[in-house]
Amino acid sequence: MKAKAITLNVNGRRHQVTLFPNVTLLEALRDLSYTDVKNGCEKGDCGACAVELNGKVINSCLVLAWQADGAQILTNAGLGTMESPHPLQEAFADAGAVQCGYCSSGMIMAAKALLDENPNPSETEIREAISGNLCRCTGYTQIVNAVQMAAEKMMQQRAQE
Amino acid sequence: MLHGRVLSSPYAHACVKRIDATAAEAIGAVVITFNDIPSVRYNERIITIPSVLHKDHYVLADKVRRMGEAVAAVAAETEELAEKAVRAIKVEYDVLPVLTDPIKAMKPGATPIYDTVLWGENEIEIEHNIACARSIEQGDVDRAFAEADVVVEGTFNLSKVYHAQMETKSAICRPEPNGGLTVWPTTQSIHNVRILLGQIFDIPLSKVNVKRVPIGGTFGSSIQMNPPIPICAALALKAHRPVKLTLTREEDAHDHTRYGEQIHLQLAAKKDGTLTGAKMEAIVDIGAHNIQAYSFLGVTVGWLVSLYKIPNVRYHGTAVYTNKAPSCAMQGFGNPQVTFATESLIEELAEKLDIDSLELRLKNYVGLGDTFWGQGPLVRSIVESDGVPELLHRGAEAIGWSDRPKSGSGTGRFRSGIGLGRGFHTSSAGAPQPGDVIDFSGAMVKLNVDGSVDVITALMDHGGGTLEALNRIVSEALCVPLDKVNMAPAETCSTVYDCVTHATRGVYAGGGAVLKAARTLREEILTTAAHYLNVQAHALTLKLNKDLEQGVVYTPSIPDRTMTLSELATRCWSESWKTIAAVESYRPVNCPPAYVTVFVEVKVDTWTGLVHTVKAVMGSDCGTVICPAMAIGQLEGGLSKGAGYALYESNAWSTDGQLVSGGYWIDSKTSGISETPHIDAFTAGFAHTYEPSGPFGAKGIGEAAINPVAAAYANAIHNAIGIRFYELPITPEKVLIALKKKERIHG
Repeated sequence: MKAKAITLNVNGRRHQVTLFPNVTLLEALRDLSYTDVKNGCEKGDCGACAVELNGKVINSCLVLAWQADGAQILTNAGLGTMESPHPLQEAFADAGAVQCGYCSSGMIMAAKALLDENPNPSETEIREAISGNLCRCTGYTQIVNAVQMAAEKMMQQRAQE
Repeated sequence: MLHGRVLSSPYAHACVKRIDATAAEAIGAVVITFNDIPSVRYNERIITIPSVLHKDHYVLADKVRRMGEAVAAVAAETEELAEKAVRAIKVEYDVLPVLTDPIKAMKPGATPIYDTVLWGENEIEIEHNIACARSIEQGDVDRAFAEADVVVEGTFNLSKVYHAQMETKSAICRPEPNGGLTVWPTTQSIHNVRILLGQIFDIPLSKVNVKRVPIGGTFGSSIQMNPPIPICAALALKAHRPVKLTLTREEDAHDHTRYGEQIHLQLAAKKDGTLTGAKMEAIVDIGAHNIQAYSFLGVTVGWLVSLYKIPNVRYHGTAVYTNKAPSCAMQGFGNPQVTFATESLIEELAEKLDIDSLELRLKNYVGLGDTFWGQGPLVRSIVESDGVPELLHRGAEAIGWSDRPKSGSGTGRFRSGIGLGRGFHTSSAGAPQPGDVIDFSGAMVKLNVDGSVDVITALMDHGGGTLEALNRIVSEALCVPLDKVNMAPAETCSTVYDCVTHATRGVYAGGGAVLKAARTLREEILTTAAHYLNVQAHALTLKLNKDLEQGVVYTPSIPDRTMTLSELATRCWSESWKTIAAVESYRPVNCPPAYVTVFVEVKVDTWTGLVHTVKAVMGSDCGTVICPAMAIGQLEGGLSKGAGYALYESNAWSTDGQLVSGGYWIDSKTSGISETPHIDAFTAGFAHTYEPSGPFGAKGIGEAAINPVAAAYANAIHNAIGIRFYELPITPEKVLIALKKKERIHG
């Protein structure tokens, strides 16, 4: 098959790229310098490449770039900035949920998907939500803590609004 | 930039007869094979001193000794083209019998995996696939066993698990116009990569610049220079273009593991529980390359005699080649293996003698004032800080140690038990004399005109917070606010040598180096300020001025003789005088034990064989805790990886040398959150100690966190169901089989 021009809307920016059908969304994103999306296994085992595709969290190594043509894609880098981080990003840093950091982007995207649907999750629900994301450094405890901290902060923010 | 790919051998043991790369070159790829690489045999890990370093590795193989070993490599414009080119290469192999069992590999008539290797500069023959062996003995062992009241023994089988670091091994190499190379690798030692690349490719080290990049975990797997680094360098040099080469997950899984090992251990004791002797034999499965077997064999007995005071010891260790992934350090460098065996037998001994095993440990452990040689016979020092009693007593109270059931007394489907494991790791491999392991650090510290400070060190941070801790040490030593201390990007051409960030040495030894440099800088600051303030240098001191948000030099008796660090550095600059900077090398003369205790409560499901963690209490004696959040994280990570080692991760090989998991992560059972205890089930605490030889009283923590975990689980399972397991991992299948066997015997 031939290459095709497609549109990828990433973190609010529009990219037109010409890609062959066998290019995964993970490869396409990294080639566009969204290197916060990590390649851990390319088989959907580890969740390091998780991004949001039209509001649903997916492993970008298991989606072809063509399937994301025209879609809205959100990566961890699009969630916040250094000056104004997303509550999850802030909580991951504050709780010590980041060690080597390689799993953090995917973890944060998985946690965001949970909090979007369930603003006040139980520990069991948090564990379920990030059960597709591997971390070899932290032992997960501070990651769960961070998600709980972020959920609380986001609920407070909503209450103030 | 070109993309590199390796051509991985589909056989675990074979000679390469012929390679035809014409088709690959025809589609535009740059190809390298054994004929293109320098005929230099090397050891990818140069921490062992050169005279006893075994060298058996070439950049590419003419004989493959493990599944997936690289026989050729290509570089092409795109990854896809590179993959096409790799598949277009035709290789003819002479397939050889595969040896996956070290015991069979040693038998007469077994196919030799190597004929010769280099030992230092001498070529030596390899017989019976034995890479090296070491015997170490002290005291009168025969007498100790003849006069013992009780002897316990066991044969322990420890699995060759995969590091499963999140980022696979990778490198980018750029050839430079001067014939040199710039390299961005996954490594724990930029300087050792530089030295090795210089030696292999015969390039002056001044032209090899290796850069520090953040890496996605390692757990010991990048102490050695990983294979993609020299392959990528060879491709870049041939292509005259920058090349990137990254291993796939399957390639990575075939590339490095923890040492698999069979340990036969006997402990002799008196009726009162005093340990008097030990005999230990270790058969170590080193896989396809000898990365560090000689020092591994030394530390194996070192861990034993540094856990407990055993005056009479006889040890023999044999390192055996097999056609499997090369074994290398993995969080603990043999310590989890030895601690599993020792802590299992301590529990058996306590049961035999009817002594509380916690008391037995307290009676015999190597603690304050004792000689300690965890890193092998030449690395001896005296223990100067010891939090073991505090950790054991606090942990016992938190877990309910005194209320634990009698082993095997439980009934019903779910049976609970409590287990204890204690251990340690050395902080660095420092000692008063040089040993067979190179261990020293270096650092530069420099004061900028705005009062901020640059810290320049080649130390790495694999996620443990090492570099953050170093910043804190400099901040404290120079009275400069933490946010004004900056860890500079590092590369080999502008940093001084640092051996490797491993061996639980980052904070202790690397921190020791930055503290030494910071103290020299402090003297330089005071001497320079004395010149401007017209007072004696030794009358001056430093403090942090929180209002000014910077350090100030002052003399307490004459309050107006003061200047900020910014004023001082600015005057030195504007008066064209100098930069205030210091550079130091630092050899630690101790390697103090970072102690860890682990208590776990498990619930064994006798229907399914599953072992659930009900509660885990970890205690660490890392001296002064420099970064509390990161230190707690080290303990939690240690528990997670330790539980995986104890219960799930097997990393088995088929008889043809293929990983049963195929390199698939999920199938090798890396611990996910489902296997991790709930957060309120886990507690961690620190002993109140101060290590006199450490920076501001600090010791290490990293590897200690995993060392006793598997033993704690095995002891807890024994407490729950009355069955002792001598082989890891203790999978549900093994639990069920053992329960059935027990029922048949007792039922």
